[in-house]
Amino acid sequence: MSPMKLCVPGEFILCSTDDCIPGTGVYMRHGYIFSSLAGYVLKKNEGEELPVISVVRETETQLLPDVGAIVTCKVTSINPRFAKVHILYVGSTPLKDRFRGTIRKEDVRATEKDKVETYKSFRPGDIVLAKVISLGDVQSNYLLTTAENELGVVVAHSEAGAQMVPINWCEMQCPRTHTKEFRKVARVQPEYLHA
Amino acid sequence: MESCLKVKVGAVLLPGDVFTFIKTDTISLTESLKDEKIICGPGLRRNGDDVVVCKSGVLRHKNPNLYWVDSQQRRYVPVKGESVIGIVTTKSGDVFKVDVGGSEQASLSYLAFEGATKRNRPNVQVGDLVYAQFLIANKDMEPELVCIDSSGRANGLGVFGAGGLLFKGSLGLVRRLLTPQNEILKDLEKLYPCELVLGMNGRLWVRAATVQKTLIVANLLESSENMSAQQRRTLFKRVADGNL
Repeated sequence: MSPMKLCVPGEFILCSTDDCIPGTGVYMRHGYIFSSLAGYVLKKNEGEELPVISVVRETETQLLPDVGAIVTCKVTSINPRFAKVHILYVGSTPLKDRFRGTIRKEDVRATEKDKVETYKSFRPGDIVLAKVISLGDVQSNYLLTTAENELGVVVAHSEAGAQMVPINWCEMQCPRTHTKEFRKVARVQPEYLHA
Repeated sequence: MESCLKVKVGAVLLPGDVFTFIKTDTISLTESLKDEKIICGPGLRRNGDDVVVCKSGVLRHKNPNLYWVDSQQRRYVPVKGESVIGIVTTKSGDVFKVDVGGSEQASLSYLAFEGATKRNRPNVQVGDLVYAQFLIANKDMEPELVCIDSSGRANGLGVFGAGGLLFKGSLGLVRRLLTPQNEILKDLEKLYPCELVLGMNGRLWVRAATVQKTLIVANLLESSENMSAQQRRTLFKRVADGNL
């Protein structure tokens, strides 16, 4: 169970499929097991016939956002076509690195998709609950959506700097200046709201 | 609180001046309790129960309850719906980049002209002057301009500028020139016939019959900002008499 040795992607692990079962971080070619990550080789004895070989980056595996997961993210920049976000939490576990996500204009709402204005839905600095719809390819970021009642802006600050209070699903109000601003507000379940 | 604002109308205010609601402990039996409502214009901001000044200038008032601060400013901040004069700096793909004097260059799509289609591109070159309106203008996104109005017609917007002079004034001067029935333009009409385009970003464009007249009109407009009405009339009269 203790980490055995370091390996790099493409390195041949001294095992063939007759001796071990491939786990995560490895792939099989011509009946032999090769590593696909740079990290430590872990050999675990499951208690069944063959041990499981896997390669891990660090001693704990990191939780990665998967398709359909609810993530908490922070808006970094907006554009008439999409909003760029940094993913901070997956479910309720914080991430060590910040992954990048994109919320396209047509994924902000479920209804009236062509009338959406990103400036009236999000602003830079807002904390947003979103769902992952696609992992994206090599260069693009995670694709997220807020097209549900429970998804959208949770925490937002007004232009005066105070934290705003939601009024309805598309407006929030600043308690200091009493000005209303447009956001796509999430309907948080009452049991999750702290006093 | 309205009374303490009314006292200050016409006075010079500095950012940080605060007007507080004076809570009276004793209620007068002779005066009726009035419901005071104040509309804060540019330069004033509400902060809880106070009204705070955030621009330096003169306090102005318009009945019934509108207050604002008239300030001098030369730096332009893009606002949605304002018409400005821009200079085309680059052409990249389907979008022109236009310098409007703000912190960022604005983008102008080539389809945002009257009668423009993907096949029929507008004749706009780098260095041209365009009179356009802001479609998107806020502090979080790149500003976007259009040269058509909501119905699709040009309505005075578009490329212009052959043969005239573009110069810069303060934002207050342009606002004064844009008020209906203002005296500066009335005096100018009597002097020389000329074409004038005013951009809310502080840019003015003039064209008169000859180059010399164009220069005279430009100088008159620039100097009329800081002159009183009387001084301006004497100056215009001197020009009309041909003494300049």
